[in-house]
Amino acid sequence: MTRWVMVADLERCVGCQTCTAACRHANATSPAVQWRKVLDIEAGSYPNVNRVFVPVGCQHCADPPCMHVCPTTATRQRADGIVTIDYELCIGCAYCEVACPYQARFLVHEPHFAYEAATQNEVERLDAARIGVAQKCTFCSDRVDFGIQNGLMPGEDPRATPACVNSCIADALHFGDVDDPNSNVSRLLREQRSFRMHAELGTDPSFHYLYGKADDPDRDAALPASQAAGAAGRLRTRGVEPSQQQHWDWKAAGNFICGGMGSGLFVFTALAGLAHGELVHLGWIALGLMALGLFLVLLKIGRPLRSIYVLRQPQRSWMAREAWIAAIFFPLAALALVSRLPILLIVAAAIAGLFLCSQAMILKEAKGIPAWRVSWIIPLMIVTGLAEGSGLFLAAAVQFPAADLLVTSSALTALLLAALRAWVWRSYRNTLESDGAPTETLKVLRGISLRFFVVGLAIPSVLIAFGMASTVLANILVAAGLCIAAAGAYLKFILITRSGFNQGFALVHTPVRGAGFSGPSVKPGWSMR
Amino acid sequence: MMKTPGKSAPNEQTVSTYCYQCVAGPDLLKVRVQDGVATEVTPNFDAGVIHPAGGKACVKAFGLVQKAYNPHRILYPMKRTNPDKGRDQDPGFVRISWDEALSLVADKLNAVRAKGLTDESGYPRVAASFGGGGTPTAYMGTLPAFLAAWGPIDMSFGSGQGVKCYHSEHLYGELWHRGFTVSPDTPLCEYLVSFGANVEASGGVCGVKRHADARKRGMKRVQIEPHLSVTGACSAEWIPIKPKTDSAFLFAMIHVFLHEHPRARLDVPFLKHRTSSPYLIGPNGLFLRDPATRKPLMHDIATGRAVPFDAAGVEPALEGSFVADGIEIDADETIIPHERITVRPAFEHLVAHVKNYSPEWAASICDVPAATIRRIANEFLEHARVGETIVVEGTTLPLRPVSISLGKTVNNGWGGYECCWARTLIGCLFGALEVPGSTLGTTVRLNRPADNRWSSVKPGPDGFMQYPMNPTSKEDWISRPTVRSVHRTLVPLVADSAWSQALGPTHLAWMMQNENFENLPEASPPDVWFVYRTNPAISFWDTQAVGKAMAKFPFVVCFAYTRDETNHVADVLLPDCTDLEGLQLLRIGGTKYVEQFWDYQGFALRAPAVPPQGEAKDFTWIATELAHRTGLLEPYNAAINRGAAGIKLSGKNYDFSLAPEKAHDVETIWDASCRAASAELTDGAESQGLDWFRDHGFRVKPFARLQWYLYPKLVAEGLRFEQPYQEQLFRIGRELGRRLHERGIRWWDKQLTEYEPLPHWHDLNALWESALEKHYSVRIADYPFWLITARSMQYSWGGNVGIQLIKEVADNVAGHGNVVMNQQVAERLGIADGDIVEVRSPLNETKGRVMLCEGIRPDTLLMIGQFDHWATPFAKDFHAPSMNALVPMLIDLTDATGSSADLVKVKITRLEKAA
Repeated sequence: MTRWVMVADLERCVGCQTCTAACRHANATSPAVQWRKVLDIEAGSYPNVNRVFVPVGCQHCADPPCMHVCPTTATRQRADGIVTIDYELCIGCAYCEVACPYQARFLVHEPHFAYEAATQNEVERLDAARIGVAQKCTFCSDRVDFGIQNGLMPGEDPRATPACVNSCIADALHFGDVDDPNSNVSRLLREQRSFRMHAELGTDPSFHYLYGKADDPDRDAALPASQAAGAAGRLRTRGVEPSQQQHWDWKAAGNFICGGMGSGLFVFTALAGLAHGELVHLGWIALGLMALGLFLVLLKIGRPLRSIYVLRQPQRSWMAREAWIAAIFFPLAALALVSRLPILLIVAAAIAGLFLCSQAMILKEAKGIPAWRVSWIIPLMIVTGLAEGSGLFLAAAVQFPAADLLVTSSALTALLLAALRAWVWRSYRNTLESDGAPTETLKVLRGISLRFFVVGLAIPSVLIAFGMASTVLANILVAAGLCIAAAGAYLKFILITRSGFNQGFALVHTPVRGAGFSGPSVKPGWSMR
Repeated sequence: MMKTPGKSAPNEQTVSTYCYQCVAGPDLLKVRVQDGVATEVTPNFDAGVIHPAGGKACVKAFGLVQKAYNPHRILYPMKRTNPDKGRDQDPGFVRISWDEALSLVADKLNAVRAKGLTDESGYPRVAASFGGGGTPTAYMGTLPAFLAAWGPIDMSFGSGQGVKCYHSEHLYGELWHRGFTVSPDTPLCEYLVSFGANVEASGGVCGVKRHADARKRGMKRVQIEPHLSVTGACSAEWIPIKPKTDSAFLFAMIHVFLHEHPRARLDVPFLKHRTSSPYLIGPNGLFLRDPATRKPLMHDIATGRAVPFDAAGVEPALEGSFVADGIEIDADETIIPHERITVRPAFEHLVAHVKNYSPEWAASICDVPAATIRRIANEFLEHARVGETIVVEGTTLPLRPVSISLGKTVNNGWGGYECCWARTLIGCLFGALEVPGSTLGTTVRLNRPADNRWSSVKPGPDGFMQYPMNPTSKEDWISRPTVRSVHRTLVPLVADSAWSQALGPTHLAWMMQNENFENLPEASPPDVWFVYRTNPAISFWDTQAVGKAMAKFPFVVCFAYTRDETNHVADVLLPDCTDLEGLQLLRIGGTKYVEQFWDYQGFALRAPAVPPQGEAKDFTWIATELAHRTGLLEPYNAAINRGAAGIKLSGKNYDFSLAPEKAHDVETIWDASCRAASAELTDGAESQGLDWFRDHGFRVKPFARLQWYLYPKLVAEGLRFEQPYQEQLFRIGRELGRRLHERGIRWWDKQLTEYEPLPHWHDLNALWESALEKHYSVRIADYPFWLITARSMQYSWGGNVGIQLIKEVADNVAGHGNVVMNQQVAERLGIADGDIVEVRSPLNETKGRVMLCEGIRPDTLLMIGQFDHWATPFAKDFHAPSMNALVPMLIDLTDATGSSADLVKVKITRLEKAA
């Protein structure tokens, strides 16, 4: 077997960005679209400061989260490990971008150029297929393939080697087959110490970082404790620490809000509809909400005309599953609402629940976003959806004064779910706090916690208490239900658009430089290292 | 034929060329051309074997494609319509034909010829300013032949040199070891102390590759500098030293070597036989000489007598007091006879000289612990391997894998002499100068011939190499300056080569436009000023003053790529072909600048990859037209034939000389050059021309690695390094002082004090502070920070500030476009990352966004590169701070060589909070 890997020698790299520029040339990427770039990381406190240059880009993971989440099969993996994107299949949903823990993917919605208008070289090489779709480093697979077809060894013959490696003036970048024990990269990895970035996420990346000779003493052991602490202290980390993901905006949040509310509302409507047929009309509102959410997604994706491709990969992608569930749900739910057949209502409610689960799973599989990928996101999203639905249902049920018992049980259910949601929220946050997360994520979540508790639980509790005590005040139950729903919407809006900080970049070791020791790990912008 | 990988256009070709945007070039490269459009720059792996960095090109070369197609290019000749000049004036450029443009220029030139080539003061009426390091000559085709044909030209209007170069090293390095630029022998060096030498940014592809290889070998580089540069980042250790105190650190190292270790740790034979250490010093500080031969004397231990330095079989004493007869020769050949006086060797004077310069003394000056200074000195000593040898190409040479390199602010201005002296001297103490592993010169620019360093070594007086000092004798001193910087009059060390005008006090040329210097001829503006690949309106010191001065120049011709701050005052803009459009043959290889040490030498062709945009013209065509229109065709062609365009067209067994009376086309000229190059490399056996070079890109022959080292040549010539005792400089300084005083010039007196035989340490921080206080009537305590700069690999020398790709990738390197400041200090001052601040020196202010970091001293601010653009398209929108407008041009801050340092004291004020 062959597995192509990149080896970056941090002892050699000087951060000159020649690879960045060479990649821009070789792959004709747009301005600021840097499939390869070199980070400039500073760690430590004056005067014990370490500055490290770290080439990054697509890590061509053996277990690539981007591929798993891709709903269209546009992202695939070749037998030699290279992760590819088929620009003709990609719909530009950006799910891969939030799934990638290495910020390696780019989505360009409009052609843009170095200066105002395209220059001759940009006109010559403009590739319309790349607009509105995901793009990333290909390991210059065209060169690799060319080499193999012509009997050239990738990594050794420049014609068969990625442009960044060819251009590297410090010989810091190496490319080769790690499955061949005699290859250049296998030898380097044997002779020198190496690590892989974010390996703890289980991505099995194909990008190795050399940080010292195999016989170098272990810096962590050798470093005085005071200095080690200093090195973990202050950091100049612009562009290195986790940053707010820019791919999923309010429209994406809208899908989670509307989808969650709608599916939750449908579940309660369908179940209540078994006893109170007149309530079934509420189901149309639920369907409308869910459809609105999906429509907002359509507005967001790069290639809406290809949106049907979203159905191509239900085997792996929860986004594809969400689409399939929606495709089944809408006609079935409509039939159930029209026919009011109990069995259809029950099945439709179950599928609405599945829709809610699929939305939760979409976030869970976004491996690039620490706030989303934790397991507690699943109950949080499900319970929040149900709570929102119950809140909306309560607000609607009050309009049916004949059904006192229904109102009471709705109010208690909503209150119960709001309380459950608050508990899940607390557990979710505690997990992030204890397991470690981007500090900015924690800051955002802490910032909304009180507000969320007050609007989402405290006020509804009081309102429900008053509302149930007096029929005169029953209409304040509407307010209680809306509060519960609004708090859920707010929570999801914040989760998607404010707390969605990415993984950032981190080093397991800072490198040796000629003499001395390698240094301790660097993980800027995280609550725990 | 195997096609290239990737999506290929139906009409695709690859063109070999070179990039010489910076002094660390040339980088050989290839350009991919699709449908006649340049699309991609790649390394030239055909040169993988012959090029020290495997045919790689640095990041700047990747900007060349955008450079060709930059929409902001000047594509047609233009003339100014607004006679008023100045920053606030719209030049009103309008398009004209080439014929009109060249006629305008030629008419002015012909008028100058009619009036006389020099003005009433003796200054050339035509001036020219070109970009740094001679790099423009790699692009200006045959213009040097036109300049040679013209006659005297004032090229002393500085555009960055003196503050932005390695000025002291250029002069003293060339004096002491033919090292106009100095480098470690990186492939063999094991321990390198680097005082702010930013080689990872300025060393080019060869420097980066050699240092990366050295790190993998285990070379320890200690970087001593106020901020953690990219070079500091890639070093084993960073020592944050207070700005401009490096000489104290170096002196303390010498103290450790001479006062804390036995003599046997030094390379005593080297000191005795390859330096002036044993020369006896008379009571007036001059060599004690043999009255008959005038040769310096040494004390022979065997016979117990003083003998001339070149007496056979002498075992000279390095230390001790001896009684001897002899003479001293003072300034103006004044002979001072001595009988039975007690004298000591130069080495013993040295030992006494550094007695008080202990690490404890230096610690508070440098703000570096004494233990650290001592440890560095001791590590250096441990790595020196005194006594070991290595065989290079069959010759056994000493192996001394230790070296010291100096950055530019260390090197420039006051203190440069001390640092260069100490660095060279330390090498001598261990025999670690010009031998494998040690400190080497890379190129000669002031001595002749300059084809390689060995051939420039000629025996001079006192057992040292000959050096072409400018005369200081009563008869020959150049009392009437030849150019406006007064370089040969004031600075004997700048010599008189084609490069000399780039050295010395080039700021004087600008200062003299605004103020009179007592007893110097008044300096009028030049009648015609040519500008190419330089932008002194933003790249010099006190750029506001420079900008005002150039606005008074009556006729300015700028070879223009885009509009910029200097060509804002132009009368004519001439668009020349950019790097990928022009044709030129360039000499490559041998040893040259920075870390360019090759095992080959030869020529590379800059073949046009794409046709010129608009009406841009090849520089050779422009030069030929100017020669034709000024009636200088014959001397112009003769200059080309002599080699003014890079290669002599005739030699033994070959003659491709151009007919002198004709105006030759561009291809004819370079075809002849290519043929001559082929013949030169094959001793006349072959004569392939332009087509061959187009196909192959370059042609080389081996260059002996032995020639990397000057030591074998010195041994062969029986010469010594002029260390440690600077008797020649001491005497020349005294002579120069007499000449200046005879003429009533007293404003250079402070500079005369620098001519010390053994330099003393000077408090340069106090010198800077007092000069600023004196000239600007400020309280220097109000300016608590030292402002320094650092080189950017992405930008420096490139003239590429208007290129988007370069900006994009440079932004990945921390500090570009920012005021870099220590985080802890900023917190105390209430300044946050991203805040917009004003940085003000006593002279001027600049604005920019703060970038906080830990890798900078608390008392230091840093602004990388030079960004003061207000006219250059694209760059004028950067809003990046630049220190150039903040650094004053002051004689008080000018050293004896005529340079100053990029250094000023500033205060910082927050203007806006970060968004």
